[in-house]
Amino acid sequence: MKILVSIDDTDTMKMDGVEVRGTGELSGMIKQAIEDQRWGRCEPITRHQLLIHPDIPYTSHNSSMCFEADIEHVFLKPLIDFASDFLARESTPDSDPGLCVAVTDRISRPGRLIAFGYMAKNYVLTKLAAYNLAETLGIHLSEHGGTGQGVIGALAGAGLRLSGNDGRFKGKLKIKAENNMIKAGDICSRVKVDMVKCLEEGIVLQDDDMVILGDHIKPVWLYGKSVLLVQAIDQGVASPACWQTCSKSQLKDF
Amino acid sequence: MWSISDKGEREFTGGKEDWAAVAHIAENCPGFKPDDEDEMVADEAVSCYNCRYRRWTIKSFVCCK
Ligand code: SF4
Repeated sequence: MKILVSIDDTDTMKMDGVEVRGTGELSGMIKQAIEDQRWGRCEPITRHQLLIHPDIPYTSHNSSMCFEADIEHVFLKPLIDFASDFLARESTPDSDPGLCVAVTDRISRPGRLIAFGYMAKNYVLTKLAAYNLAETLGIHLSEHGGTGQGVIGALAGAGLRLSGNDGRFKGKLKIKAENNMIKAGDICSRVKVDMVKCLEEGIVLQDDDMVILGDHIKPVWLYGKSVLLVQAIDQGVASPACWQTCSKSQLKDF
Repeated sequence: MWSISDKGEREFTGGKEDWAAVAHIAENCPGFKPDDEDEMVADEAVSCYNCRYRRWTIKSFVCCK
């Protein structure tokens, strides 16, 4: 069965020089543990930006991390127990970690979960609202330290992942190509990218379209696909490629 | 370049898109420390926008160092 595993608010500002693992890293470790224990196969992690507001006690960016996994029924409880213990143990002491595990095809009204995700990008929400919705929809939601405020972001992260249209993937892709130039079709066959698309216009690149790879190859989560965004190269530049991958700053709003 | 909030926090007055200014500040700041790769937004590697000690606010960020 398909599940969504989403976590939020596991880290704190590191003022004393002590290295602390961020939410992305902890999410990656949970994903790795699922695969190491052969509980199932996991999809890449997406990062979802939530509202920045003085009334929200986030650390530095207020984002949550979510991934999808395909597991056997029998591993659902062990997985939730493992992730709960892991977050309680590994999150920094003054963080407010939350965990959400949603069985995708058991969510009674997926639209409500997606709506909650988008609400969390625009409004200050409460823990009570998160718990009430999780209970109504039959979703596991739990807190593992501090105020437990992270349950809001954890639930929102699952909703935004489920929407198919929010966030950027954790990490960067590495693609080897001569002169850093490659056909769009080869990108899709070599790494976890389903579509190469122009950032500003609705143009989807054809397999033979040439792309120049920058040093920041990071797909985003759009249309339920891993989409690599590119921009047109100034036609005054003599090059067999008409496109280049977008930079960090161009992807900052995803 | 910085304003001081009621809470005594130092907020950058240039907003979230003053790429050159925050690169210049970070290059000259002994406190700069890169944030997780997933939280970086500036193309300049050394930039307050990519620093572990910046905390985003509605209009800009505060430096928590
Ligand atoms: S955010 Fe603060 S610590 Fe980081 S580089 Fe800028 S001024 Fe320095």
